[in-house]
Amino acid sequence: MHCLGIESTAHTFGVSVVTDKGVILSDARDVYASAPGTGIHPREAAEHHSEVAARVVCQALAEAGIRVSKLAGVAIALGPGLGPCLRVGATVARALSSYLRIPLIPVNHAIGHIEIGALTTGASDPLVVLVSGGHTAIAAFSGGRWRIFGETEDITLGNLFDMFAREIDLPSPAGPEIEKLTEKSSGFISLPYVVKGNDVSYSGLLTASLAELRSGARLEDVCYSMQEVSCSMLAEAVERSLAYTGKKEVLLTGGVAANKALKSKLREVARLHDAASYVVEDRYSGDNGAQIAWTGILALRVGLVTTIDQARVRPKWRLEDVDIPWRDGGAT
Amino acid sequence: MSTFRGEMAVQPRLIYKGAEAEIYLEDWFGQPAIRKHRVSKAYRITELDEAIRRTRTSHEANMMHEVRKLGVPVPTIHHIDLESSTLIMDYVEGPTLKEELYGISTQAKRDRCRMLGTLLGKMHEGGIVHGDMTISNVLSEHGKLFMIDFGLGDFSSETEDKGVDLLLLNRAMKSTHYGFHTLLFNAFMKGYSSIVGRKAGKEILRKMREIEQRGRYFERG
Repeated sequence: MHCLGIESTAHTFGVSVVTDKGVILSDARDVYASAPGTGIHPREAAEHHSEVAARVVCQALAEAGIRVSKLAGVAIALGPGLGPCLRVGATVARALSSYLRIPLIPVNHAIGHIEIGALTTGASDPLVVLVSGGHTAIAAFSGGRWRIFGETEDITLGNLFDMFAREIDLPSPAGPEIEKLTEKSSGFISLPYVVKGNDVSYSGLLTASLAELRSGARLEDVCYSMQEVSCSMLAEAVERSLAYTGKKEVLLTGGVAANKALKSKLREVARLHDAASYVVEDRYSGDNGAQIAWTGILALRVGLVTTIDQARVRPKWRLEDVDIPWRDGGAT
Repeated sequence: MSTFRGEMAVQPRLIYKGAEAEIYLEDWFGQPAIRKHRVSKAYRITELDEAIRRTRTSHEANMMHEVRKLGVPVPTIHHIDLESSTLIMDYVEGPTLKEELYGISTQAKRDRCRMLGTLLGKMHEGGIVHGDMTISNVLSEHGKLFMIDFGLGDFSSETEDKGVDLLLLNRAMKSTHYGFHTLLFNAFMKGYSSIVGRKAGKEILRKMREIEQRGRYFERG
């Protein structure tokens, strides 16, 4: 059984074919690049997606080396994400499903990040740390759904990096650039560290980091301090959640999972609590079609499909509102 | 229990290892006492780690003192040592409210949560928020509730901060007592509103829902 997955929630238009054994046969992507100093412009990103869509779909099928008649379903990320971008992917998916007469499978983008992380690392019942432009959340599986144990109360970790980068004219996503700058830092600057229970708050840290920069602090030092403080805050929130839930695995997934400082801090947190530490492979940390195709396989196995007239985009679809019938355990 | 001077009430031992601190039960001049030691974390750089542990230790002692003045039961503090980030305080045996709620009748569940509501109501009325309000941070000794763990507590009369306390509590109930959480939280709100007033209670509840929505999904870019 093969499933084709389409991802178009934000800057990436990605298409992938995955088998029911979890083999990723192809992973084609084309990423919209915003001009330095600006963020994602939703309409421009959507225009980019519609221009590349046909080519990326063909590329994914060609790389997988299969005929379309082999496909058992088309999985589509209906949300959460940017409305205009979501609609491009949804239109392509509806058309393919209708033309090929195969099931259309609705997938939540955040669940996709979790499932691709679990697939590529072998984590079975982890405390999930989902970090991306759209999410900063700590979740564990219980009673048929992913429950949120901690999250950001304002902006996400990805937002913190991107909004900071925009002020200094770096292109977004800016995590890798900021990480490079931290290596040239010569000292730590004290910045606001805000942890509330298992939650974090980054908006004050963003304001203070920009204020330090304007008052003449070295860019490298501000980047280093901002990264240290923000990642330590999340590490502490994860440690609290880990102590609270007693989980024996930690899975870091999502675009910001590629950050080295965050990875090493979470590895240390897991070690302190005798938990195994898993990090999604770098190439599947950012948005991709494989995370949607694989989640599509899992959903298709339990018959979770939708119809074309029901497949509306859901820009604010929440992670904890999704029923997960394919995972066992998690009894309350 | 009577003890002679010089006789050890208990043998020192580690009774709990939390995310932030190690809790030891030990002897304090012939009485059992708790030693709460905030441990150093290797995932934080030294400058940040020391500042956080020191500030939270002195802050927690201060908060517990202020909360007691509002008539909310907390363990009494005997000694503060900032150099080692350590507090020594009264031993309250427990169990935690989280544990106790599993084994008691529905009516007793309601009573406990309503009582917790009045305690948090008194704190909020007095301008103090807990900052880490879960049912694991409430001890129940013979039906009397003690609030603990004030390291993230703060002076605040902001609806936002009060809403965060309610949000954390609601989430803790949901994640550990799923199926019962609505009953628990409603009973809590009854006690809470009896202190802060129905109108203020509703307003803070509305703020709680707003904060919940905000963090769930933040539009990119």
